[in-house]
Amino acid sequence: MIGTLRMYGVFTRKSFQRAAAYRFDAWTRILGNVMMLFMWGFVWYALYQGKGSVESVSFHSMLSYILVSQALQGIHGAGTPLWEIQERVRTGDIAMEMLRPYDYPLRMLFTDFGSIFFHFLTAVLPLYTVIFLVFSPAVPTTLGQGMLFIISAVLGYFIRYCIELTFGLFTFWLVETGGVEDIFYFSISLFSGSVVPLWFFPDWLEQVALYLPFQGIYFVPNSIFVGQLSGKALLIGLFTQVVWLVVCYAILRYVWAKASMKIVIQGG
Amino acid sequence: MQSWLRGIKMYFYMIGVSIRTQLQYRYAFVMNILGWAMTYAGTAITMWVLLYSFGAIEGWSFWELLFLFALSVLSWGVCVVLFFHFRTLDQFIIQGTFDRFLVRPIHPFFHFMAMKFDIGAFGQFLFSIVAVAMAYQRLGLHWNLWQWLVFLGAVIGGTLIQGGLLIAISAMAFWTTRSERFYWVVMWPAKSLMNYPLSIYPRMVQILVAFILPFAFVNYLPALLLLGKKSGIYPPYWGFFSILVGVLFFWLCFQLWMLGLNRYKSAGS
Repeated sequence: MIGTLRMYGVFTRKSFQRAAAYRFDAWTRILGNVMMLFMWGFVWYALYQGKGSVESVSFHSMLSYILVSQALQGIHGAGTPLWEIQERVRTGDIAMEMLRPYDYPLRMLFTDFGSIFFHFLTAVLPLYTVIFLVFSPAVPTTLGQGMLFIISAVLGYFIRYCIELTFGLFTFWLVETGGVEDIFYFSISLFSGSVVPLWFFPDWLEQVALYLPFQGIYFVPNSIFVGQLSGKALLIGLFTQVVWLVVCYAILRYVWAKASMKIVIQGG
Repeated sequence: MQSWLRGIKMYFYMIGVSIRTQLQYRYAFVMNILGWAMTYAGTAITMWVLLYSFGAIEGWSFWELLFLFALSVLSWGVCVVLFFHFRTLDQFIIQGTFDRFLVRPIHPFFHFMAMKFDIGAFGQFLFSIVAVAMAYQRLGLHWNLWQWLVFLGAVIGGTLIQGGLLIAISAMAFWTTRSERFYWVVMWPAKSLMNYPLSIYPRMVQILVAFILPFAFVNYLPALLLLGKKSGIYPPYWGFFSILVGVLFFWLCFQLWMLGLNRYKSAGS
């Protein structure tokens, strides 16, 4: 058990070192992230012109929402992107991985940890600390709320990871992944509440979004952070995240098992 | 003159080859087009959701905002067809494969441009033409001849401005051996800014996109004219000048590319 963990730890360390070697890439990525933050900041500022609060959400809370949302997106963005997983399947590189004595989905997760740690420590954390100090938006007021936010954000991270890898593995069955990829990116940008929180959705669309796993990625942690989700609703939110994580993980495992069989059939 | 004619003939021959290559995979071809159309429709849906609770942004209703967005997607579509592969110039320089563009009897710029003719951009056309038509109808617009000319000018000017910027970004590869990164961290976010009315941004940014990287002439300024909107800062007739700004900016970017080309030293052995 300890030995296995240590082995996966090596992947994390190596990927951290690789990220450090290509730090130019990490820092240019944060530049794009900040430009998007800038855009959404002014879009929301303009939307709130002449309005106190909309759907009982003030601009102050909304500013906090987009700040924490962009910060989380910056962290998520440091992981292996969908197209890279697809590329590995398409080129057959993934077959080499399967020969090795480790579990591929787990290894990818630990590899992502490395680049995320690097990106978080050298780019996201310092930058967003400064931004938060400058704008002083709504932040968690109690330690408990802060802790719950972190738990929720971590759950959100795992949900996104499972979904993204599952979508990547679909490449085993599809020669061309164009459509699948677009469904993924569209869902993750709209239904996750990454840029527009679910409060502002029309009721029917909000209902749709609430029945999808994507809301657990950004919407739930962000809402906890700005204090829009508290008490019983907060616990329900966290519970939904856990349920979705279990479901998404089960689907990932199922798809992975099927995909492994597929390789065996085609190999030889 | 004759060499120009020959160059143009060769360009069409080469893009013919590129189109036939892409048509080999029918399913991929269709999915590529639908995928692009869906991506833009997704952004439009996000805008609709945003304005559902808020009504308007700086006095722009959803349909006006959609028109603004679709206008930039339309010229971006033309730009993708002709120039989008310029962002990958760094790969050719790093791998040393750029050399082959220098030894052929055709201008290297032309040759590189002719390498690909991305028909996936029909997805952009599909989205933007449907969106512009819907906005045109919903807003009850009736353009006269000169407004149609402004519209056409915005598409041509927008193509030249965005294409020029892509070329300038690709030229960076001659100095830094990087270009694709610059596209994703500079041009893509800057382009996204223009999906919303320019007037929501601080004055510094407005000056930047009006005079230095003239994105304002791609959609915002022509849209003011075409939708009959008033903006305190910009004289309404500025929208006429998209084509002029486009030609000038494209020429400058082309000069930069040629400057880089002259400086280029092969990485290959």
